[in-house]
Amino acid sequence: MLLKVISYPYLAHLFTAFSLIFFLVSCKGDIPPLEREEHDLPQDAEVSSTEPGNYGGVLVTAESQQPRTFNPLVAEDAYSSEAIGRFLNGLTTYHPIKEKVVPELARSWEISKDKRTITMELRRGVRWSDGEPFTADDVIFTFKALFDQRYPNRYMGQYTIAGEPIEFEKLDRYTVRFTTARPYSPFLYVIGFIGILPRHVHLEAYEQGELLQQWSVRTAMHSPEEFVGTGPFRVRSFRPGQRIVYEPNPHYWRVDSQGQRLPYVDYLITRYVQDRNTETVLFASGQIDIASITPGDVVGVRKNAPLHDYTVHHRGPATGIRFLWFNQKPGESEAGKPFVEPHKLEWFTSRKFRQAILHGLDREGLIQSVYFGRAELLHSIISPANERWHNPDVPRYPYDPDRALELLREEGFELDGNGDLVDSKGNQVSFQVYASEGDDITPQILSTFRENMRDLGIRVRIRYLDFGTLVARVSRHFEYEGAMMGFTGGADPSGGRAIYLSSGRLHLWNPEQEEPQTDWEARIDELVYASEETFDLEERVGYVHQMQEVFSEELPLLYLVTPHAYVGLKDRWENVRIPAMGSVIWNIDELYLGQEK
Amino acid sequence: MLSFIARRFLTMIPLLLGISVLVFILMAIAPGDFLDVARTQEDIPAEYIERMEEEFALGEPWHTRYFIWLGNVVQGNLGESWIYRVPVTELLWQRIPATLVLSALSIMFALCVAIPMGVLAAIYKDSIFDRVSSMFAYAALSIPEFFLALLAVMFAAQTGWFPTGGLSSVEHEFMSFWGRMADYAHHLVLPTIVLGMGSVASYMRIMRANFLDYIRSDFVTTARAKGVAEGRVMFVHVLRNAINPLVSASGFILATLLSGSILVENVMNYPGLGQLIFEALMRQDEFVVVAAVMMGCVMLMLGNLIADLLLAWSDPRIRLEKN
Repeated sequence: MLLKVISYPYLAHLFTAFSLIFFLVSCKGDIPPLEREEHDLPQDAEVSSTEPGNYGGVLVTAESQQPRTFNPLVAEDAYSSEAIGRFLNGLTTYHPIKEKVVPELARSWEISKDKRTITMELRRGVRWSDGEPFTADDVIFTFKALFDQRYPNRYMGQYTIAGEPIEFEKLDRYTVRFTTARPYSPFLYVIGFIGILPRHVHLEAYEQGELLQQWSVRTAMHSPEEFVGTGPFRVRSFRPGQRIVYEPNPHYWRVDSQGQRLPYVDYLITRYVQDRNTETVLFASGQIDIASITPGDVVGVRKNAPLHDYTVHHRGPATGIRFLWFNQKPGESEAGKPFVEPHKLEWFTSRKFRQAILHGLDREGLIQSVYFGRAELLHSIISPANERWHNPDVPRYPYDPDRALELLREEGFELDGNGDLVDSKGNQVSFQVYASEGDDITPQILSTFRENMRDLGIRVRIRYLDFGTLVARVSRHFEYEGAMMGFTGGADPSGGRAIYLSSGRLHLWNPEQEEPQTDWEARIDELVYASEETFDLEERVGYVHQMQEVFSEELPLLYLVTPHAYVGLKDRWENVRIPAMGSVIWNIDELYLGQEK
Repeated sequence: MLSFIARRFLTMIPLLLGISVLVFILMAIAPGDFLDVARTQEDIPAEYIERMEEEFALGEPWHTRYFIWLGNVVQGNLGESWIYRVPVTELLWQRIPATLVLSALSIMFALCVAIPMGVLAAIYKDSIFDRVSSMFAYAALSIPEFFLALLAVMFAAQTGWFPTGGLSSVEHEFMSFWGRMADYAHHLVLPTIVLGMGSVASYMRIMRANFLDYIRSDFVTTARAKGVAEGRVMFVHVLRNAINPLVSASGFILATLLSGSILVENVMNYPGLGQLIFEALMRQDEFVVVAAVMMGCVMLMLGNLIADLLLAWSDPRIRLEKN
């Protein structure tokens, strides 16, 4: 009886509340189409070569992290840069299909005879999203800001060539001239990295020394209309930890062949989903339009394709590289302890030893067991995804334990009675490899490595460290024997300078050398500099190919495998062109909603 | 009453100092630092990293940095987040409302479910209902929150009845006012249940035990003998007495909810403090971590203070003032 008395009204209320929620949720409806503002097209509008489409549609994407800032001078992570790229343009940009630099805010450019002066014609008639005209003053302002000592930023170093900051001057309202201390062929590529800032918006803050405080996540939350740009979109709203909503910039400078101003989509929404698995679930249940899919998830996600009309596209090898390497740094720590024990340093600096180790690792087996065949061997320091620069004809080291032992014997190593490998002085060969616990694939690769090395008579100990500790060990304390890591690759090899050059910060096996310590490192330095001085593309590619040959011959990095990349995309989007590397929706302004099939 | 509150606030100061020192030491011992991520990016120049090391005083020992920080705090400045380049207070304020709403709802949910269930379990002691509810309570207490959260996400993804995470849907800003409210409510259902589940169980056990104690006491027999209606005996006399321990227990719950929400928010993609703190910890964004930990402490102490005040209000036998 008592049970009835208290539970009836109580349950009834609960029930009412729930049904009210369901009712309200069920009638929430769709996003209304956007009313577009009409503005004149700029004189130098760029006409898209793709098929003309229709306005409308909402494109929903997901990212695992939110932007930390919307200020290009502060941004140092890919997520912030991507958000900034939606509303700011550079002078040039990299076209991932044509695999070359194409004009963006600069309409055209001329390179002087001595290759040190680049004169850029700006696009005339372009307006900022608030209607103010874009001129050379904005470009000069941006470069002045990034070389201002009050505002440390990553571009300052990138735009310092042969120790000298690039010089820039305004010739007239629509012309700017850049001068570099030495000829520098990646110039046109790197000059596009920085989004050009609106002078009329930032001048006051710049003069007061507060430029780095501008355009933070706070601005995005409270007054996104302050983000004035020339890009395809402007920010409509930003909710930290949830999503950002972009709407088309009514002053954007690209049109289609029918004179319609791009972009076609009404809204672009990026949701922030911290967990990769959640992102996959969202895509497979039709809630987002696009997602990258890991090799292990491909089969599962494809099962749902007929339900939500999407396709999982194969993109070929991923752009990053993953490798093992040995510490080759001579010298000792402050405590007087050698970074690497002398006899081990002797092994690690031996080319044949490194080659033997790679011959001894069953990478083909890893591809089958870890990636289900959805990966391929990596042979070069530039991933095969980067077709323009990748050299397919470098020395290769397939799984061949006999060849490995042969190479080791040539270097004086012998197997003793217990099946252990010893060097010519009788030291037993063993080393320790550090790795970060980052993903579930690292341990699988390393345990195979340990087993394979055991077959060669080598004892390998594996220790997992926190990522920060690993970085500190390999880049500051140099107290390690072997380690495993990876890099995400960029489009132009100039992005890898810090790895290739012997003076580089990420020349991992022996960083920041004052003078190249080996002949082959000197050779690499030479090739890198040569490739940066020539403006002839074929010649540049030639140098970069040679550099890769040296790397694969000397093998300071023991390349592992490169997984294949997959991307899921809803079928309703037209004009999609998936490049080998970079963002799949790089041409977001050209995408439009096709007819329902 | 006022002097009691003032005393409680004063005792907070040394505690907060101690905690902030502890956090600074722990962050200094923890391997790596904030710039590790930048260090491994091949296209970030070395000069930039050096400038940043200088700017964040990362080369200094922890006590030097601590006193710089303390100096700023005394002037009312909790510092700036290194990740976001936004004042820490601002960053925390962005997230506090979402977490408070979730915590408040979870407490309400827990109380609304636990009190009636505890009471019923006590009244019908050893009945099927009591057994089943005990079993439920033990199960709920032993399932970790993050696992429950994972189950909830799976449930949402499988059935499609609830959103798989977040606080609002993509269409949110295009909705009418009531549509938005309903949207929030729809998104809050699962996180509230997940976060509240553990408290339901413990509250229920407390409620049941206390209720049983009082049911057997003399005043109940007296009331029954006077002929007071059974419902009135139970819900006016017994419940009134049995609820006091629950009030004092709820002082802690604010703090446990905060720590629980770090896990739940990360699994369920809920844009609250938990997500922010987790990110700050992983990236070693020092000032955000210190501020967040201190805020957790303040919440714990405020929670206890409120619980004490409530107890004084609900139980006239308790006096806060010394006579």
